[in-house]
Formats: sequence, structure tokens, C-alpha cells
Amino acid sequence: MPVGTPSDLVIAPMLIVLVTAVLTLVLGRRPRARVGVSLVGGAGYVLAVTAIAWYVVLAPDAPGIATYQVADLPAPFGITLVADGLSAFMLTMVAAIGITSLVFSARTLPELDRRSYYFPLFHFLLLGVTGAFLTGDLFNLFVWFEVMLMASYIFVAYYGGAQHTRAAFWYVALNLLASAVFLLGVGGLYATTGTLNMADLARRLAEPAAYGIDPGPVVGLLALLLSVFAIKAGLVPFQFWIPTAYRSAPPQVTAVLAGASKKVGIYAILRLSFTIFAGAQVGVDLAVPGVGTVVAGTSPLAFVGAALFVMAAASILVGGIGAVGRSSLEGILAYSSIGQVGFIAVPVAIAATTTAPELRQLAIVAALVYALNHTLAKGLLFLSVGAVRSATGTSQLADLGGLAGRSPPLAIAFFVGSLALVGIPPLSGFFGKLLVFDAAARAGTMPVLVLLVGGSVLTIAYTTRTWNRSFWGTRTAAVSRATVDPVKIGVLLALTGTILAVGIGFEPVYEFADAAAAAALDVEGYVEAVDPADPDAAGGEQM
Amino acid sequence: MRTTARAVVPIIFVVSASLFVEGHNLPGGGFIAGVLTTTAFAVLYLAFGLDFLERGVLGRDVEPGKEPSRDRIVTAYRRLFTIGLVIAVTSGLVPLLFDLPFLTQSYVELEGVPIYDHVELASALAFDLGVYCVVVGGLLTILSVVGAE
Repeated sequence: MPVGTPSDLVIAPMLIVLVTAVLTLVLGRRPRARVGVSLVGGAGYVLAVTAIAWYVVLAPDAPGIATYQVADLPAPFGITLVADGLSAFMLTMVAAIGITSLVFSARTLPELDRRSYYFPLFHFLLLGVTGAFLTGDLFNLFVWFEVMLMASYIFVAYYGGAQHTRAAFWYVALNLLASAVFLLGVGGLYATTGTLNMADLARRLAEPAAYGIDPGPVVGLLALLLSVFAIKAGLVPFQFWIPTAYRSAPPQVTAVLAGASKKVGIYAILRLSFTIFAGAQVGVDLAVPGVGTVVAGTSPLAFVGAALFVMAAASILVGGIGAVGRSSLEGILAYSSIGQVGFIAVPVAIAATTTAPELRQLAIVAALVYALNHTLAKGLLFLSVGAVRSATGTSQLADLGGLAGRSPPLAIAFFVGSLALVGIPPLSGFFGKLLVFDAAARAGTMPVLVLLVGGSVLTIAYTTRTWNRSFWGTRTAAVSRATVDPVKIGVLLALTGTILAVGIGFEPVYEFADAAAAAALDVEGYVEAVDPADPDAAGGEQM
Repeated sequence: MRTTARAVVPIIFVVSASLFVEGHNLPGGGFIAGVLTTTAFAVLYLAFGLDFLERGVLGRDVEPGKEPSRDRIVTAYRRLFTIGLVIAVTSGLVPLLFDLPFLTQSYVELEGVPIYDHVELASALAFDLGVYCVVVGGLLTILSVVGAE
């Protein structure tokens, strides 16, 4: 495998963040060098991700998928890294929010914190997210989840201070439970199918008879894994950790948690449902006593779709209604995140339920575009809150007012972020909403459309309330004293520009999302690219 | 307790060393050897108290009642953690210089070594050493800081 091929690109972003994390750890005593290395590493990460997106997916002669066998061990024995359209799309999102938050962190942290473990942890968080998007092995996915969680535990627990220790404890306890369930699901899948390589799993589940597998338990195991990913994504009824965790972590880290870590949950649901389990033929017959058969079908996707519909609907309502009643900026944004993930999950559910290939692809495109919009807009809003908090020392609505007059650029950033959440053209949010509504309309389900309209009205309600309370109105004492760092304003405006650019030049973004959705659905291409060896056919000579 | 510790701790060290060396072909390796080494330290701490290592073994003066995380030995543990991480990552990166994928391992067989006659020197040992340092450094930092509170 020569250096310099698309195949080597696959591991590049991971190596860059890993080396940066270690270097920042070594440079603990030189805060300036540490910040410098951290930013250079971030820039390298963006370059590597851009290279993957271009050479693997977008370039005219791009292969569409590239694989990397760590340590030269052949699949399915070694760990395979796979970069396809879906991974590349997700990574691009992470790179955008990651570098922004990094620059913001470099300006925000007081001298004391630059000496601490902030930057190494930040890069380990990025490493976990990146690994989760790139791995082609289910157990390895578990490992990257843990890497990501370890870093986020410290951000939530340590930076939250004493009053948030309780919240941090719940966060850690819940996630440990989720990890245990994840491990249980992974173990069950291994016992059922005899492999954990994703491509190998997809192949074996598509023709269970050829491999002597009974796919019966698969639906239950998928349900276990789905609940784990729903915890990470923060879907109702697993949403309760979000508000406290998002309040405790520093705002620039919350931007990454909401923008990147949450998307890992969405990504895992997409990858698992459509790439791995789509081919499995299992009779699903879910009956609720007294109601009769609720879900019936021949694919585990029927179950995924039904479960996601319920969770997404509840998320939109809980998130929207919760956000209207919060009293602090972080609280509003955290509840808003719950609702927005519901908006992402609705098209995923539509994709899982439908059997028409065009609609399925359209629905996944809708979910991806909406996820991209959420990452950009929510990232921008959380960073704005960080700027507001470090300038005024508060994020309570009661203590804020008249910010728009005090710092017009900050107000513009917050305004655009809010409008992108609502979905006003020409911002990125408009196309996200449009595609979601389009998918729902084509699926022909009236209740879903009503739900989406209701959710949008709630979004308008809470963004308007936040805007009126904090940016308009009479200037409070805290706001009068505030001065906002110009570099932070620059970062916020750059992100604002990105949201505008995505909305105005939507064509290439749509093509990228379309390629990502096609990659998510292209099971054959995925299996072929990884090409796992068949241990039975090989006569065990590779072991 | 102290008598048992005197007998048990050397045995633990030897077993952990053997687990470490044979890790790449047999059950064992850096992680498990590191955990075992840490248990040896834990036994020492339990039997002789937290200051024993610095005062009794290293012959340094210890002021009582100071913050545990300022201890010199804790700084050493932290440094071990960082060094381990550097070793592990570097050993993974070396194969890239030879046009091989990340983490690719190789081994050299040494013949005619006294007593053993035949020894396999695997490059995985470098990675394992890194893991070992990370585990020992990390766990001991936690153990001594949390143990002091």
C-alpha cells in the first residue's frame, strides 16, 4: 500500500489529531507553544478532511470509497477504516465546527486553563469523533465512542465546577450504562453472526443461510444498539442528560458536543440501519397487547422506522416546549438541540419505513442536510453564547437586554444562527427544512407534516423570545459594561458567512449530501471495497 | 499486612514483567502488565502508607499535609503517562516511514542468547511498552491523588 494514495488519506485526520493531542500534552509547560501546535493541528485536520472529501468523493475520477487496513491485517480480522461519502460528509461537518471552536477556545481560555489539559482533551474528543466516523468495525466503533466520552466526561465534570458535579455524575452514570448496553449488543451480534466487521456483517446478514446464521435475534440486538445511539443523539426518552451536560461544559466545547458528538449517534443509526442491517430478511411482528400488531414487515428497518418515528416526534415536542420555558441561553439552546435532533430523525425514520429507493435516498439527503445546518447554526449559537458569557459574565435572560446595540456584529451572528434554525431562505436551514418537508410530503403521512409544522412554530417561538429578551429591550448593567473580543467576533462572522454560503451556493452541498446518501445505501459497494476474507473459504490459513 | 506485602510485591513485579514480554504471542501485553504493576503499588500504599515511596524508598523529605497532586512522585507518574503515550504513538508511526500501514508490526529472531537460546524480539514490544507506561502512569496518578483525599 504505497503512501500518497486515497487509501492513506483515510487515516490522515486521525493521525493528525492523535499526534496533536500528544504534542499538546508534552508541551504542558509552554502555553503559547501549546496553543500554536493546537491550532496548526486543527488546520492540518481541516486539510486532511478536505482532501478526503475531494479525492475520495467529489473529484471527477474519485473512487467514492477508500479503505485502510490498520497494521496490514486483512479484513475481517484486522481493523478496517472506511471513508465513503457518508463518512466524508460527517467529517466535513466536524472539521468546520472543530476548527472554529478551537480558535474560539484559544481566545477564551484564561492563562491558567491553557496550562491544564484542555487542548489535549479537545483533540482526544475530535479523535473519538473522527474514529467513530471512519471505522469499519463495530467493536472499534465502541472504542471510539469511549474515547469521545472520556474526554467529554472531563469537560462536563471538571469545567462545570462544584454546582454541576451532580449533573456530571448523572452524565457519567448514564453513559457507562449505555456503554454496557452497547457492549451487550456487540457481543450478541458476534454470537449471532460470528463477525464484527461491518462489511462482513452486511454480507452475512444478507444471505444468512450461506453462512449458517439464524438472524432471528438481530432485531432485538439492533433495538439495543439503537437505544445506545439514541442516548448519544439525545432523542426522547433519552434526552434528560442534555440540558445539564450542555450547561456544565464550556460553551465552545458544547458547540462541538452538539455539533459533532451528537451527530455520531445519528451517523451510527444511519450506518447500522442502512449499510449493515438493510439486507437482512427477518420477520418483524411487534404486537402491543390490546392494540394488536403495531409493526409488521420483513426487514429490521421496519422496526427502526417505527421506533424512530415515536422518538423523533416526542423529541420535537419536548425540545420545542422545553426551550420556550428556559431562563438561560444555554438552557434554551440545549432544549432546542433535542428538538432539532428530532427533525433529523424524522427523515431517517421515513427512509427506514419506505421501500421506494428514490424516497429513501431523498429522505437520507434531507437528514444529512438538516444535520449539517444544525451543526453550523447550533455551533454558531453556542459560540455566540460563549462570547456573551465572557463579555457580560452571565447568560441568564433576566440579566441580559439590549445586546444588539452594544455589539451589532455579535447580534448579526446570533440573528443569522436563529434564522437558520427556523429555516429562512437563503440560509442553510431553509433547504434542510424544505427537504425534510418534501420527504414527509412524498411519504404521504399527514400526522408527520402536522408535527413538523408544529415543531417549526415552536422553533420560531423560542428563537423570537430569546432574541427579544437578550438582544433587544433596555440595556442592562451587565451588558453596558461588556466588550466583545474582536477575534471572537471574526470567528462568529466567518461561521455566519459559511451558513450564508451553504444556503446561497446550495448545489454542490446537495451533490455532496446526495453522494453521502448514495454511499449509505450502497451496501454492495461497501462490502466490495472492504472485501472481507471469508474465514471458512480460506480454510483458516490467515489465522 | 507488611510481611505479606514484602513477599507478594516482588512476585507481582516478576509476573507482570513476564506477562509484558510474552504479550504479543500469548495472553498478556502492556495493558495487563501495567494493571498488575499498579496493584503491586497499591499493595505498597495500603501496607506502608502514601508517603512510603518517597520517604522510605527514594529517601526524600515529605512535608505532611500538603496537597497530594503537588507531590513529586505524582508529577513523575504524570510524566510517565505522557512518555508512554509518546512511545506508543511513535511506534505506530514508524511503519509509515517504510511504506507500511499504521501500527504494522514485525519481529527479529535472536539466536544463541544465553539461557534462552532463542528469543523473538517483536516490534510490538515498543507499542506495548508505551501502553504499559500509560497504564501505570495513569492509574498511579489516580490512585495516589484520590487515595490521599
